[in-house]
Formats: sequence, C-alpha cells, structure tokens
Amino acid sequence: MPIKIRQKKKRNQKKSQVEKEIRTFNLPDDEISENLKENIERIRKITGNSSDLIIRPLKGNDIVNMTAVYIDGLVDSPTVNKFVVDSVFQNIDPQPEGKKDKQGLFEKIFAEVVSIGEVKQLSNWKDVFLLLMAGNTLLFIDDVPKVMVIDTRGGKKRNVEEPPTEVSIRGPRDGFTESIQTNISLIRRRIQNPNLWVETMKIGNITQTSVSILYLNGIANEKIVNEVRTRLKKIDVDSILESGYIEQLIEDQTLTTFPTLYHTERPDTVAGNVLEGRIAILVDGTPFVLLAPVVFIQFFQAVEDYYSRFDISTSIRFLRVLTFMISLIAPALYIAVTTFHQEMVPTRLIIALAAQREAVPFPAVVEAMLMEVTFEILREAGIRLPKAIGSTVSIVGALVIGQAAVEAGIVSPAMVIIVSITAIASFSTPSYAIAISARLIRFLFMLSAATFGFYGIALLFIFMLVHLCSLRSFGVPYMSPMAPLSLSNLGDTIVRSPFWAFKQRPHLIGNQNNKRQGENQKPGPPASRSLKTKK
Amino acid sequence: MIRVFGLFLIPAISITLLTGCWSTTELNELALVSAIGIDKNEEGEYVGSFQIINPGSVAGSKSTGQGTASPPVTVYTSTAKNLVGLSRNISAKASRRLYFAHTSVVVIAEELAREEGIKNLLDALDRDPEFRTTTAIIIAKNARARDLIKILTPIDQIPAENVIKMLKTNETMSGENINTKTRQVIDALSTKERDPVITGVELTREAEGGKLESIQQTEPESIIQVGGIALFRNDRLVDWAREKTARGIVFLLNKVKETDISIDWKGNEEAVVYNMIRQHTTVKPVIKNGKPEIDVHVKAEGIIGEVQVAIDLSNPDTLKRIEQEVNKEIQGELSKAIEKAKENKTDIFGFGESFHSTYPEHWKRFEKEWNDTYFSELKANIKVESFIRRTGLRNKPYLKDTN
Repeated sequence: MPIKIRQKKKRNQKKSQVEKEIRTFNLPDDEISENLKENIERIRKITGNSSDLIIRPLKGNDIVNMTAVYIDGLVDSPTVNKFVVDSVFQNIDPQPEGKKDKQGLFEKIFAEVVSIGEVKQLSNWKDVFLLLMAGNTLLFIDDVPKVMVIDTRGGKKRNVEEPPTEVSIRGPRDGFTESIQTNISLIRRRIQNPNLWVETMKIGNITQTSVSILYLNGIANEKIVNEVRTRLKKIDVDSILESGYIEQLIEDQTLTTFPTLYHTERPDTVAGNVLEGRIAILVDGTPFVLLAPVVFIQFFQAVEDYYSRFDISTSIRFLRVLTFMISLIAPALYIAVTTFHQEMVPTRLIIALAAQREAVPFPAVVEAMLMEVTFEILREAGIRLPKAIGSTVSIVGALVIGQAAVEAGIVSPAMVIIVSITAIASFSTPSYAIAISARLIRFLFMLSAATFGFYGIALLFIFMLVHLCSLRSFGVPYMSPMAPLSLSNLGDTIVRSPFWAFKQRPHLIGNQNNKRQGENQKPGPPASRSLKTKK
Repeated sequence: MIRVFGLFLIPAISITLLTGCWSTTELNELALVSAIGIDKNEEGEYVGSFQIINPGSVAGSKSTGQGTASPPVTVYTSTAKNLVGLSRNISAKASRRLYFAHTSVVVIAEELAREEGIKNLLDALDRDPEFRTTTAIIIAKNARARDLIKILTPIDQIPAENVIKMLKTNETMSGENINTKTRQVIDALSTKERDPVITGVELTREAEGGKLESIQQTEPESIIQVGGIALFRNDRLVDWAREKTARGIVFLLNKVKETDISIDWKGNEEAVVYNMIRQHTTVKPVIKNGKPEIDVHVKAEGIIGEVQVAIDLSNPDTLKRIEQEVNKEIQGELSKAIEKAKENKTDIFGFGESFHSTYPEHWKRFEKEWNDTYFSELKANIKVESFIRRTGLRNKPYLKDTN
C-alpha cells in the first residue's frame, strides 16, 4: 500500500501533505482515557483485533476492573504468568473504593506487586503501542488514566551458535543472533568498560526496528560518530529488515562494487574493531553487524590473524592478496596470453595449449566467458538449493565444468583449470563482500584482455586503483594506511606485525589517544639463564 | 552525472586512439615456426625452409582424438630475394600465419655463408618484433639447410628443440662448441674488433630423414650432430675448428663449463683423465715495446675421472705432476686455437675489443690493420693453473704394478 501511495506522490505534489500522514503511519498521539472499556476497544480497533493480541481481564475482586494486554509470542509467558497475573491475584487485599483508591491501588501495584525490573507508567497512546509491539505487557485499571507498561519481552530466540559464514579454527565459537539485546551483551562481555557507549534508535516507519550504534567513548572519532548518527537519523523508509538496508542507505559512494562497510557475525571481530575506534551498527532481527569506517585491506584480514602468531598470519595475508589477484585476473591473463602474447609462454606450453585449442570452435574469450558464467550459475544454484538436491548439482556441475565439456570439444582442458583455480581463489578471500565484487570486475578484466591484451589489463587495473583511492568510508580514505601513507599503521595491513609492535591505533579512524600499549612489550628470555631458585 | 559520464567517455575516446595493440590472434590461427633454414639456389635467390610445429602431433600435448600419426613438424619451402619475401610466399602454401616468437634455431647453409656472407640475412631477424635475437644460429656443414630442417629426431620430437638441447648439452659436457645467439653474431658483425664464431652442425647418413619411419627404429637413419666451430672473417665463413682447437677457442671465450682433458702418462696415451668441473679464463691485453701482447690466464679446477695405469694418487707429488701435465695440455690447446685464428686473420676472441677498452689511445694506431698485421703477429703469453680437487672415490688404483 504505501508504495502505491508514494508513486502517486510523485505525480501529484499537492496531495503530499495528506499522503505523508498516511505513509508515516502516525499512531494516535492522544492520552489514555479513564474508561477501561474505551481503552480496550481502542486497542482492539487499532490492532484490528488481531488473534495474537491477548486481553486478559484480571478481576481482583468485583469492584476493581483490571486488564492485562500483551502480544502472544513476543512476551515471555512464564514471566507474565508469574510476575504479573499471579502477583496481582495474590496481593490485592484492600477493597478500593472510589477513584482515589483505584489510583492508590495502581501506585501500590506499580511499587510493590509487580516484581519485574523495568516497569513504566505511561499515558500517551503512541508510546504505549510501540512498547506493546516490542513485547511489553500493559496493565490497565478502570478509572485510572494511565497504563502500567511491564517489561516482559521474551519469546523464542535462536541460541548463540557458531557463525556459519565466518568459521575459524582458533577463536571463540559464539556468533551474533537475531536479538539485538543478546548481540549487545556479547560485545559488552568482551569489553567490560563503562566507556563502551550504546545509542539506540528506531528506524523504519512501519517496522520500527531497533538500531544501535556502539562505540568506545574516548577512542572513536567523535566526528565519525556524529556522521554515523546523522546518516542514520536521515533514514526515512518503511522498513529495515536487515543491516544490508542500513548499509545501502548510509554508504559514502553508491557507484562502486567495493563494500565501504564491513559486516560480520562474530562478536570478537566487532570488539576488536571497536577497540580500534570503529563504530558498530547493530540492527535488531539480523546477526550481521555493520562496522564503519572500513579500509580496503581490512577485507583481507580475518579475525584469526590476531590469534595465531605474526609470521604465520603475515604469510596467510599475502596468500589472500594473491588469491584475490587470481580471482580477479586469472582468466583475463589466460585470454591475453593466448590471443595476444603467445611469445610469453614457454614453447613447450604454447604447443600444449595450441594442441588443446585445435578442437575448440570458439575464441578464447568466448570460451572463458562461457565457463565463468557456467560457474556463476552453479555457484548460485548451490547456494539456493535445498541440501538434499545439493549433491545432484555438484555431480552435474562436475560434468559441465570438467572432462565432459572438454570431450564435447566445447572448451579446452587448460580453460577448465583456469576457471577452477579462479573459483577456488574467489572463495578463499575471508570476506564474501569483497570476493563477490572481484567476481564482477573479473568479467570487465576478461573483456579488456580480449580487446587489448596485457595493455587492457594494465589499463583497467590502473582504473581500479584510481577508483579505490577515490573511495571513502565515512570520510576515511579507503586505501589508507597505504594511500595516504601512514607508516606507523602499516604494521597491520598485508603484514601483521607482532603484538608488541602494535604501538598505535589506526590514525585516521580514531583521532584521540593513539597510543595503545605500554613500553617494552616485547617478550624475551629471563635475564638470568639459570632456572634454579636461590636459597 | 556529468562526472560519471565523463569517467566513461574519456577511456572510450582513448580506446579508439590506442589501437596499437590490436592484434588478436587465436592460437589456432598461428603456425608456430620452430626453425628457419636459409639456402641459396642457382638463380641467386634465397630458399627458406620453415619448420612448423603440428601441435596435435607432438606427444605430451593432448591429441585431438584422431589416430593418424602425422610427423610433429611440417616443412614448407619458398624462394624469394629477401627474407620477408620468403615468409610472405609461404602464405600461399600454409593455412596459418607464420609466428616466429617461438623459433629456436636459424640454420644457414655453409655454401651461403662461405660465398655470400651472412650479413644480409640478419637484418630481417633483428628488425622483426616477433623474432627473438636470443635464437640460436647454426651453420649446416656440408649440407643444405633445408635437409637439416627436414630431419626428424627421436627423443625431443621437435627437431629444433632437439638441436638446441644437443648444442647446450655438448657445450657443457665437452666445451667444444658454443651456442651462439643471433644477437651475438649481430654484435660481432657490427664491430671491427671481433669476428663471429658459429657452431656447425652436420648430418650423418643422409637418407630419408624426413620420414616418420626414420625415427621409428632404434637407430635413426639420419642423425644431426655437432660439427665443430665455424670461424668467420667479417661475415664470411673461412675455416672450421674441431675438437681440441675448438675447445681452445671456447676456453679463450671463457665459455667452458665442464670438460675432460686426457693426458699421456709414461708412454701410455691418454691414460689419465682430468674432469674439469670449473674454470675461469681471463684475457689481459698488454703493450710491450709498443707491440700488443695478450696475457691469458686459465684457472681450472677438476677431479680425476679415470686412471688407466697404476699411479698412487695419495701422493701429492704425483698429483702435482698430473696438474703440470694438464697445464701443458690446456696450454697446447689454447695455442692451437690462437694459431688457427691467426692463420685466418680473424679475431674471433675479441682481443681487439679488450685492447680498445684498455688502451683506447693505442687502439687508434692498431685499428686499421688489426686483423692483417697486429692480430696475426700477436704474442700470447698463456699461463694455466689447474688444480685437482678430488681423486674420485678411489685413491690407489686396483692395478698393482706401481711404477
């Protein structure tokens, strides 16, 4: 419905005022009435008497009319039963008479009866409805123009499990869930410091999704925090169903395949980044947490790099950059070499390649495109298919990209190898977001290699570099700390220097307080070689 | 929006201007030339033979499924007045464009090199961007280049590759030939201070070497073998050096890697073999009494490879005597080589070059008559220091009659 109205809005500007009101789904902003029946009717009307709306009249005695209202499934039923319904039943002794006594009863229940941490008294319908929909229980008493809002949020949640998209050999096994409270607590447990500040806001006119920004006060750059806050506040859409919505609505540059926000399912990744001065954006209803600002090289860093020793991490990071390059230009190089630069291949190899190509009817570029597209189809099918059919796809896939395709004379064996190594390489990049962008650019590289050979590859590569250098993530240059160069931050880029050399936080990300460790952190053998204790 | 449009427009415009690299050729549109042979016919035209690889028939590369055994190479010949013409005339016969980047050998007929010289042949090779000047150049000794190009070889299936490997192996194992690159010949031709040397290759048993049957037997009907070093004066072949003389030349060019030197021992001819494993030869020009002289210093290191007489090798004096004999032998070879070059008045060692760089002011005097006068009267002081590193796995021979 709202979409339809919005389209209309473009056609007719004059009606915008009325339409805006409908689009924003304004809830009643008036006060609660004294009459219990009226109030209940109001709730029934606005919720359309939905079947999951539970209205439970609690008659303590004949005189007092009390009613609890909650949404089934959003509340924690045992809590409602035990601490709301049961407490009220058991504790109403005095016989209230008249309005004043009822007011007194309300206060008594608020103060003494309901044994739950967070209880509020509200009188504005709008706030009441928002809290009702978030899983709170409402308690109305006849003749009292207020409502008691009891925090009974609960219901079914997924357990904290190992994140399936970011598995590590070494490191914590917990991952974010769909509940924002759980997610914040997972981070808080790692950074037990009052300077870890959380700000929550509701985004999405219809969905009213909780979105929190989380940062370390004193380390995060305040300008960037402000920028994040402003950009989030600016969002005025119907719904936020996943952090991807937020990502696309707040990124600096939309015309790029490179991600300018990092998303992760791992609380330790978020904690590590928050400690470097980054800001985490948590969205209720998704386990994916956004991190900003990010730099290009971050997509090649897995959280495990910090858990294993630096020499190993460094070599693995080099490997990742290599695989990124392979997934980017391997097919393009093959095309360029076989159609332009035959002199660059050792004679024996060019004879082998030429022999393979004798039977292939297509030019190398068509062959490569065919295979790459086939692979992308397979990959896409593999993600969407139910597990039961998955094995069928892998068997059929092995026929399409494999011996059968070669024997059918459609592709050459070398091409199958190239496509396979490209596929494997594109999956070994730790971040899926950057891998998929490489996958897209790969096709551009293949086309430019087919038209200009190595010259084309070099040209496109320069274009890509220039583009990367022009990108910003919340004002931070995407290629930093390489461009602009920051020598003291180069230790955590493609190389991962040992912890005792991590003297400073990333300069451009956090602005205050760059020093992050004490002096002389380098470990060494004991001063005395003798291990004997003196007597 | 304009910016974005401009971002795409600028490369789009430049693309139309930068068409220099526009030369897409699929692999199956190319004929890989592995060797070129150049002869001359009676009419005075060049006869070019192009050895083209049949990728599908080379074992090791995947066959296309047809069972017919065709030879790994095909030879096309054409005639023309110049080299580019040769290549162009092939297009009337071959289905694909000739591609020279993988050419490994250029064969020049001896007759052509003797009578006309090679200087006219090299320009096209040097000028063509595809052709590599690192390609080996050889002389077909007593044969037509065309016949050599046609021979099929058994182990390395592509004949050109076979020849290259043979030259390289022979160069390291015996030190009796040098694998000359086109570039080196061009360099030598462009200066007066050095004359080129090119390895010769000859055919044994000139039979049906171009048929597949010739290699389908344990003893191939025709074999290509190294045939000594061709000495050139300017660009003309003047003489051949073989065996020890050839090795002397290679020594003087400091190109010997490994070789074995046999010496006589108490009347037994070539009874002790010295396996030289490394050497270094320095050539130092000196001027004595206004006359150029050359100091050659060879430092060699080796092991005893074979002893046919009973000698006690644990005795250092014996080893010293062997070393002296080796010195004498090497010295003799070097003198022979220098004598041969002097006879032909061709400075293949580049002595002139070293005089020019060491004594530029004297060189002006030598320059004009270098080959004819100064070089042929050049005195060479040869000093050899050989050293026996090891005697192999055995000190005393099992032969008992010690003398």
